[in-house]
Amino acid sequence: MPMTTVKPMTMTLSDLTRQTGLDVLDHLEMDVAIPVLAGPQAQGDLLIVPFDDLAGAVTVPEWARWRPVPPDGVEVLRGGAGGNPHTLVAEPHTCRWTEDVGDLENLALGVLWADHPVHLMHPEHGGSGIAPGTYVIRRQREGRGRTTGRVQRMYVYD
Amino acid sequence: MTHPTPPTRGALRTAADARRDALDTVRRAIRIRDEWIDEGLSALPADRPAAEAAISELYTRVRRPVPRFVWVPSPAAATDAGVSARPTLPPRFDALPRHRDDWPTAGLIAAQYARLGYRIGEVVSLRRRRYGTYLFDPWRTDAPEQAVRQGTDAMLVVSRAVIPALTRTVRDSVLVPLRDLLNSEGGDPSGYSCFGQHGVHQVGAYDLWRRSGLLRFRPEESEALDVWTALARSCGWWWPGDEVCVVSERPVEVRAEPAPDGGRRPHSLDGPAVRYADGWGFHAVNGTRVPEWVITDPTPERIAAEPNIEVRRCAIERIGWDAYTEAAGLRLVGAAPDPGNPGSELRLFDLPSDTWGTPARLLLAVNGSLERDGTRRRYGLTVPVDLPDPVAAAAWTYGLGPDQYARLQRRT
Repeated sequence: MPMTTVKPMTMTLSDLTRQTGLDVLDHLEMDVAIPVLAGPQAQGDLLIVPFDDLAGAVTVPEWARWRPVPPDGVEVLRGGAGGNPHTLVAEPHTCRWTEDVGDLENLALGVLWADHPVHLMHPEHGGSGIAPGTYVIRRQREGRGRTTGRVQRMYVYD
Repeated sequence: MTHPTPPTRGALRTAADARRDALDTVRRAIRIRDEWIDEGLSALPADRPAAEAAISELYTRVRRPVPRFVWVPSPAAATDAGVSARPTLPPRFDALPRHRDDWPTAGLIAAQYARLGYRIGEVVSLRRRRYGTYLFDPWRTDAPEQAVRQGTDAMLVVSRAVIPALTRTVRDSVLVPLRDLLNSEGGDPSGYSCFGQHGVHQVGAYDLWRRSGLLRFRPEESEALDVWTALARSCGWWWPGDEVCVVSERPVEVRAEPAPDGGRRPHSLDGPAVRYADGWGFHAVNGTRVPEWVITDPTPERIAAEPNIEVRRCAIERIGWDAYTEAAGLRLVGAAPDPGNPGSELRLFDLPSDTWGTPARLLLAVNGSLERDGTRRRYGLTVPVDLPDPVAAAAWTYGLGPDQYARLQRRT
């Protein structure tokens, strides 16, 4: 698996905000190119993992409803204090998203498929570039007790 | 005479039309909900004439003479208002007098309110059963508009994703803490009280069903609801007595922040989040009711003695995770560089189970992105106790294996 796919044209945060109309906090670096990566990467309380890395744990049933990512993006998860959403944005007709996924760990928010680089945006965390491919977006959890058997779990809202 | 054009039905409507209509309905419902959230958190002085008129109307409806009104600054002040309107015990059904004429007024008003709730609740649950609930992921309650775009029925989205935010905002994070507080202070919350602005999780929700066009009401129900919504818009809690009705003012200060579900939650880092004119109220951080010391003077000793985990977490975040682990003398299990987050370290601590209950470890991680002041925020997560090292612990929080997490390329 190639670790990094270099796309001829990289985007900066200011390009992204201009294209999507989504705002980010002004103290983030706006003019640094956002790396487009094919490996796992984290954005706050979310993790983007290549689908193949989780083969077996995460499954997409045949009847899953895939939908194109609209121009204003898909809110993958709305954050905690301040209600900041993680938004998946893509050029038209380049990315599809489904929330019909099965996850043994119950952490997957959905699966995305893209044939062009797409981005996940968050007002506080900036942007994450995602190379073409199929990925799972998972959220973060906390827990107590032991990893096997009964664990008290809760989701993290960053 | 020309006939009016019949409304177009069925054949000409496409699925896209239906979805657009559903989206409009849900947007309208969200607007109405936010309106009611504002009412529930309102800190304006009570509209006394409106409240008294509405309560009088209710008394008239149950054929009782209009009471004398006693206004108090807060619900806590109602119990020592020194009036005989001290709440009567809730009438147990089998203990009620045989004839309604002998019932206490509170019982009659309670019955009237319950009837309103039954009628509407019945219709809602019937509709819900008919549409089924299988099309909606229950945890995806944060994006109602997306659910509609995916084809979920508007009614279902409203009941599962729009109204719960109102309930959580007003009932769970304001009404319940206030009742707890009243209980713990030895007040007398056992009597029948009506909650005025803090009852909007019911009254406001009924109004939402009505105004969004999702439910049609009978005229008499609609009129009855009007009286209750007028009360929710004009005053705080009130206690219907036979001769005297005690009515509370609204708080003078309510500080809240947006909550992830689209509602709001009480939050204030300086002073009480909800405060009445007589000083009664409570402190809250991110929606959790906390004792005053969490805001004014959080110390490791107090944190160690605090039984409530949520409260403890709020207090720790006030002094900072690093300062806490140091001051509390937590044992460091291990530290490792955070993959994908250059220059940052993951640290794993043992949590003493005598104060933290279920055995667990504490993982301290550092945010991938900068705060406004140029620092990176450190945050703590509890993880199961059998995770051997920090990377395995961090991996577990995302459901990964340590080697998978070690390949993390970037964290923002």
